[in-house]
Amino acid sequence: MITISLTLSPSMAAWDLSVTVEDLGPDAPPVTLSVASDLHVGGVILKLVEKTQIKRDWSDHALWWEQKQCWLLRTAWTLEKYGIHADAKLFFMPQHKPLRLCLPNGITLRLRACFSNPVFQTVMGICRMLNIRHPEELSLLRPVEHKKKKKDKDSAEEIYDLTEVPLSSVSRPCLYNGMPAHFADSPQMEAIYKMLSVTQPPPAPEVVAKQYRPASVVDKAHIHGRWLNSSRCLLQQGIQENDRVWLRFKFYAFYDIEPKYDVVRLTQLYEQARWAILLEDIDCTEEEMMLFGALQYHISKVSQSEPQMMSSNAAMDDLESALQSLEVKMEGESSSASEMLVRYKGCTLIFKHVELSDGTVCFRPKRLTLKGYKQYWFKFQDTSISYFKSKEESIGEPIQQINLKGCEVAPDVNVAAQKFLIRLLIPAPEGMNEVYLRCENEQQYAQWMAACRLGSKGKTLADSSFQNEIQSIRSFLAMQKTNSGSHGNAPANDESINTNSLVSPRYNKKYKTKQLTPRILDAYQNVAQLSLTDAVMRFLQIWQSLPDFGLSYVVVRFKGSRKDEVLGVAPNRLIRIDLGVGDVVKTWRYNNMKQWNVNWDIRQLAIEFEGNVNIAFSCVTADCKIVHEFIGGYIFMSTRSREKSSTLNEELFHKLTGGHEAL
Amino acid sequence: MEQVSDEEVEVRGEEEEEEEDSDKEDQDLDKMFGAWLGELDKLTQSLDDGRPEQPPQQKAPLRQETNMANFSYRFSIYNINEALNQGENVDLDALMADLCSIEQELSTINTKPNSAGSLARLGPTLYLLTHQASLSMDEAARQTSSHSLSSRQHRRTGSVGTPFHFEEQAAKLKADNIRVALEKIKEAQVKKLVIRVHLSDESSKTMMVDERQTVRQVLDSLLEKSHCGYSPDWSLVETISELQMERIFEDHENLVENLLNWTRDSQNRLMFTERIEKYAVFKNPQNYLLGRKETCEMAERNKEALLEECFGGSSVSVPEMEGVLWLKEDGKKSWKKRYFLLRASGIYYVPKGKAKASRDLVCFLQLDHVNVYLGQDYKSKYKAPTDYCMVLKHPQIQKKSQYIKYLCCDDIRTLQQWINSIRITKYGKQLYINFQEAMRRTEAAYDWSSLSSSSIKSGSSSSSLPESQSNHSSQSDSGVSEMTSSSHTRSQSVVSSIFSDAWRRGTQGEV
Repeated sequence: MITISLTLSPSMAAWDLSVTVEDLGPDAPPVTLSVASDLHVGGVILKLVEKTQIKRDWSDHALWWEQKQCWLLRTAWTLEKYGIHADAKLFFMPQHKPLRLCLPNGITLRLRACFSNPVFQTVMGICRMLNIRHPEELSLLRPVEHKKKKKDKDSAEEIYDLTEVPLSSVSRPCLYNGMPAHFADSPQMEAIYKMLSVTQPPPAPEVVAKQYRPASVVDKAHIHGRWLNSSRCLLQQGIQENDRVWLRFKFYAFYDIEPKYDVVRLTQLYEQARWAILLEDIDCTEEEMMLFGALQYHISKVSQSEPQMMSSNAAMDDLESALQSLEVKMEGESSSASEMLVRYKGCTLIFKHVELSDGTVCFRPKRLTLKGYKQYWFKFQDTSISYFKSKEESIGEPIQQINLKGCEVAPDVNVAAQKFLIRLLIPAPEGMNEVYLRCENEQQYAQWMAACRLGSKGKTLADSSFQNEIQSIRSFLAMQKTNSGSHGNAPANDESINTNSLVSPRYNKKYKTKQLTPRILDAYQNVAQLSLTDAVMRFLQIWQSLPDFGLSYVVVRFKGSRKDEVLGVAPNRLIRIDLGVGDVVKTWRYNNMKQWNVNWDIRQLAIEFEGNVNIAFSCVTADCKIVHEFIGGYIFMSTRSREKSSTLNEELFHKLTGGHEAL
Repeated sequence: MEQVSDEEVEVRGEEEEEEEDSDKEDQDLDKMFGAWLGELDKLTQSLDDGRPEQPPQQKAPLRQETNMANFSYRFSIYNINEALNQGENVDLDALMADLCSIEQELSTINTKPNSAGSLARLGPTLYLLTHQASLSMDEAARQTSSHSLSSRQHRRTGSVGTPFHFEEQAAKLKADNIRVALEKIKEAQVKKLVIRVHLSDESSKTMMVDERQTVRQVLDSLLEKSHCGYSPDWSLVETISELQMERIFEDHENLVENLLNWTRDSQNRLMFTERIEKYAVFKNPQNYLLGRKETCEMAERNKEALLEECFGGSSVSVPEMEGVLWLKEDGKKSWKKRYFLLRASGIYYVPKGKAKASRDLVCFLQLDHVNVYLGQDYKSKYKAPTDYCMVLKHPQIQKKSQYIKYLCCDDIRTLQQWINSIRITKYGKQLYINFQEAMRRTEAAYDWSSLSSSSIKSGSSSSSLPESQSNHSSQSDSGVSEMTSSSHTRSQSVVSSIFSDAWRRGTQGEV
């Protein structure tokens, strides 16, 4: 090697290389250097820096060769080895540039991202900065353009700026107060971390309605054609400084979620799931939608009232101890439980009991009239309701005692009409007994409803959750009140949450607010007791158990087929969907996949499964690299559980997803 | 037969030697109980003959009354617990007085035999014992009060020397005693049920289960007693003869809770048999989890991978289960075809004239409150299209009702797929844990059987060794004894000895 260069060097003539230095300004002429072909890239940079005579930290800068669309990152390589001649258009610029990043929660961040490494590494860097574990599950995609009127609204949008974060601090985040140290620098930065780690309030229904909603599987497939290539860098894919990209969870295999460490990850995952449901990106039934609505309501309410819960580790620990002391306190207060009972005896309820005999159809009482309701004296004890003819007789034997354990409790409430019914479906050997309790006012209703709910779970009034339960019922009633007042037009604010913003536009069209609220209230009673983290986890769990969960679609043309079909890529399987009917025609599981190949010349994927099953297809709505990356990526995700090491096996990812571009 | 009862007498003899406190009262109680049980058995016999002497007045489940019984005790416990947690400022003497007054109350109640305790009859196969609660409570309180008396005396005599230090000690001692007494009261409140378990050979066993025991624990003690060879397929099956349906209890379920749903005059039976369908899902997951129509083979390692995939993650994926089923119309003997789908949130069907898009599905049933049963011989009972029927109902419903839903499948395979998929949806990972636990027991049983005949689970319940109070989980409170359904005279003595045994346990661990 040395001998060769010695023999060659005399014959090397010097020639002019012009380099545009970004830092000199857009209008500055290129800097011309006199170089020889045996000069290595490091030498070129050194000359360049000397010539510009600017004193600054150049360590992040590198050369970009525009014609070839590549970075000259190997500083030891000579110009000759790179094949650079005098006609080369080179740019000297920082590798990290500002990027506008749209997060799953819909908020845009401005941060410095790496434009020179493969996107996979860029995402790793971004996730490190934002404190999101397991960056391999996320990736970047080009945003859907807003073709419609481009008002000034875009410029008015608040952008959170993270560009000042020094790059060195990003390498290994040390946690300070539960968040990466760079977020603890100033109140502004802390506010950004709060935005990242606390769920956003439900969006106004108009906002949801305005958003782009994929109407068909093909529309969804087009979105998946926007994923960036993980093996190439941003600049190579035409992403420029200050461009807008979306950060999203791409691989729906969420490994090792640990609420204590995954505050931001969990929040953003929840936001992505919530939007997927609101925008009908994933289909669900009406019952599921109501439950999602109830959970959203609960989550936004709890995160408003106790924002410290999600914000940091230290706060979590504090909270735990606080909870403990609260429990002790509650236990202490249980001595007043008997007192509570006394107070409860003071309630008179108007009551209607529908007894069932021999499986005949249940008689429905006329709900809005007082007809058919008889007034009794009620007593709540342990997990049972007993009733008496009058207060005076309440010392003696009750007319009937109903144990609520295991029964279904449903509200039937209309605040405007002052109707406060509690519907109890009580299992008995002969079937279900339907009982309606009619309360006189909101206060009474909230207390009896709470008591019934606890009773149905086998808990007594002495249980520490009793007061919380009352509170949550009252706040929900309050919501109904504000809704009926403002006709559902008011945008969501912190005080009241519009039920219309909790479900997708389809159900907003289908139901009026006053129909929707009781249904969400109905679902809400099952989740009202969850902590913030549990509620978020429950939301994700229900989302994950939807049949279409985790499916990313691509329109493909199977080999030998004459029509377009849809390929669904899921965490554990591939499915073939008939476009005409929308039915799943065939399922192949990764578990019995033997190998897959990409023919890069004809852009075709061929997959072989056990039992001599071979399929081949070309991709219509996405580059075949995207599909290849999806399959390889999911294979990679499934290897994680086996090797428990915390370091990411980057090499394996590239091997599985890189194709001919693999490093 | 004679031999066995002799043994029991011996065991009781030993008890008397050990228990210093046991006096005439105890023996009287034993006698009293023997008499009651005798009467109850007569009653049972007459019921079995089909001529009930006393038609049951109330059909309501037992739970309603029993819950109320201990209410006042619970409250006093709350108060004391809370006081103890608060530390030094508590007036221990006042607490003592409280306990003494409870004791007095109890002893006055106890003089009337009728209210001393209750042995409730729960159908021909079940008895409920709530007697211990009040009895052991009494015992515990008496113990503690005697301690406190002695410590009070100590204090008086010791005040000459170092009064302050000694008083402190005495107070601490007293607090400890109260704690012990409270634990005992808690322990004594455990409900116990005497059950009859039917075996496939028409014989039966009687045993006692306490309300904390899971089905798995009961199965373990049954297996241990019956020497019938370990297999994960052993099951406790509830058969509801009136409705012609049955269900395998899941291993994690609480047995007593389920049995308390039976009515007083129930003809329901609890069977102890081997059922291959119990864990068929885990033996051949490919037939259940892949939504395939045809049975097939799969390599073991692939099965494991499939199970890991379905049950290993943070959320269990619901098997893809959909297809045409027959639904029995309410109150009629006609069956209608509908296209049903299973989702995590429940069972849905496709309404007429609609495609099966998620948003159009109609919710048929949510699974939170219902269990899935296997219907038997519905072709003749309800004119079902086939005999492959499943039933969905709330566990407490025991009679014909519009709230019971009947579904009929075209073949046995579809039926089993549906039943198992519903179980997976309902119980999720718990089902897999149950299976793994059952497999572990089986393996352990093989290891141990080669070493000795004694079992790994605590078989000491019928011996008189004292057990540690804290270790409830490993403690098996069941006494199983061989018997046939006809020998009522024997069952009496057996049950009474079981009772005294259990009662003794409630009071043991005394200082």
